[in-house]
Amino acid sequence: MIEQPIRLHIRRQDRPDSASYWQEFAIPGHPDHNIVSLLMALRENPVTISGQRVDPVIWEHNCMEEVCGACAMLINGVPRPSCSALVAELEQPIRLEPLPRFPIVRDLLVDRSRIDQGLKQVKAWIKIDGVWDIHEGAPRIGPGEWAANYLYSRCMSCGCCMAACPQFGPHSAFLGPAPLAQARLMNAHPTGRYDKTQRLHAIMAEGGLSDCGNAQNCVRVCPKEIPLTTAIGELGRQTTVQMLKDIFGPR
Amino acid sequence: MSASIDNPHFLLRRLHSLLGLLPVGAFLIFHLWENSQSRFGAEHYNEHVVAALKGMNYLPLMEIFVIALPLLFHAGYGLVITAQMRAELARYSYTRNRLYWMQRVSGIGILLFLLLHVGMTRIAGFWDPSVGDDLFAHMQAMLIQPWMLGLYLVGLLLSVFHLANGLASMAIVWGLTTSVRGQTLFGWVCVLIGVLLAAMGIHGLMGFLS
Ligand code: HEM
Ligand code: SF4
Ligand code: SF4
Ligand code: FES
Repeated sequence: MIEQPIRLHIRRQDRPDSASYWQEFAIPGHPDHNIVSLLMALRENPVTISGQRVDPVIWEHNCMEEVCGACAMLINGVPRPSCSALVAELEQPIRLEPLPRFPIVRDLLVDRSRIDQGLKQVKAWIKIDGVWDIHEGAPRIGPGEWAANYLYSRCMSCGCCMAACPQFGPHSAFLGPAPLAQARLMNAHPTGRYDKTQRLHAIMAEGGLSDCGNAQNCVRVCPKEIPLTTAIGELGRQTTVQMLKDIFGPR
Repeated sequence: MSASIDNPHFLLRRLHSLLGLLPVGAFLIFHLWENSQSRFGAEHYNEHVVAALKGMNYLPLMEIFVIALPLLFHAGYGLVITAQMRAELARYSYTRNRLYWMQRVSGIGILLFLLLHVGMTRIAGFWDPSVGDDLFAHMQAMLIQPWMLGLYLVGLLLSVFHLANGLASMAIVWGLTTSVRGQTLFGWVCVLIGVLLAAMGIHGLMGFLS
């Protein structure tokens, strides 16, 4: 089937500190392209519409099934994973830009290590070892609670929620919504509960929960439909209780 | 261990939130209710509202500690919070994002309005005792000018919006509302509160014109 060529505008940047510029491409149409496969096709023949051969566009991808989170970028102005962005459903020319609010490494590749830093800051893990055996017997958890927790476990650290958050970015120390939601998840885990106070104290410091301004963009753009704002509300309640404990005891 | 009280970041932010409602928000409601009595006419207003307030025990202390200082802290820290905003309204045109932006913009608007409003009433009263003696006439003379009435309307609506929307975000901040349903329902309760307060405030402004 012969299709119209797919028109693509890409915002490129050669170095972390250099200026960005736009380039236009037209790629032979294929009915089931997604943005990652489109960029792969472009990589085979990186020629702009004016016939100039340029460096291949740099971007990140891995799983191709919206579970690794590596491929997030701004597609027609919306932060979303590119492997699940189907070309047939996008308005053309398709505009691709790097995920905002994260430092650009090159072209569409950004440095998202601030998400990892945030996860470290809130201790988004379960300690399974200690001076005593913590996990004797399988931790029991009811199906209702399990279902609620499961929603948060689907986070793939893509950073879309952070890119859309008006309080997050190079100007602020705010952890952003994804690490907060993971603190909510780990606090609910039967073994993770043991470190709940520490996690709450971590999000009651600079860059913590109170830097959220409740704009709720995060929950709108999350591709995994993670109830981030519910997590933020629940953490609000947990920190309220923790604050009272800190002031009046018992700790 | 008690990191949240050793590090003031969290407590300051919660104090800002709390002061927005108590006493500042509570005072706004009381203030609008007091002034809605303008419709009973100059005599009632000057004697039963203004004079009664002036005779209150510990009035200057209350004005400083219950109104001025909490408001100044809330406004000052509010400006610090406002500086953290990097909103992109065109890209994310969701209602809550707009409200988030409006909360901050209305805060700045209220601050400017209050400078004028307090200057023209309370502060002007220090120089010219007649302002306080016949506040009704003073307000009437001001509000009879359409632009001044417009200014007061804007100041009133910004304040009421800021309080009502502040209540909705406060409920999330303190963890009262967590589910989407809870946040939406309480949001509508705040809309209702806002509409009622706005109506009472406008009623009060109109009372000076009758
Ligand atoms: C009539 C006077 C005022 C009242 C009744 C009032 C009330 C409130 C309330 C109830 C909140 C909600 C607190 C929360 O979300 O945790 C709030 C938030 C806020 N106020 Fe005010 N306020 C007033 C004046 C101001 C002024 C003069 C400013 C600053 C210029 C200001 C800036 C803010 C900001 C930035 C927030 C947002 C907090 C957030 O959502 O994260 N307010 N206010
Ligand atoms: S919460 Fe959603 S948008 Fe945010 S990093 Fe996780 S999967 Fe991505
Ligand atoms: S609710 Fe708004 S301010 Fe808070 S994390 Fe989400 S996008 Fe950011
Ligand atoms: S490639 Fe893994 S989420 Fe897109």
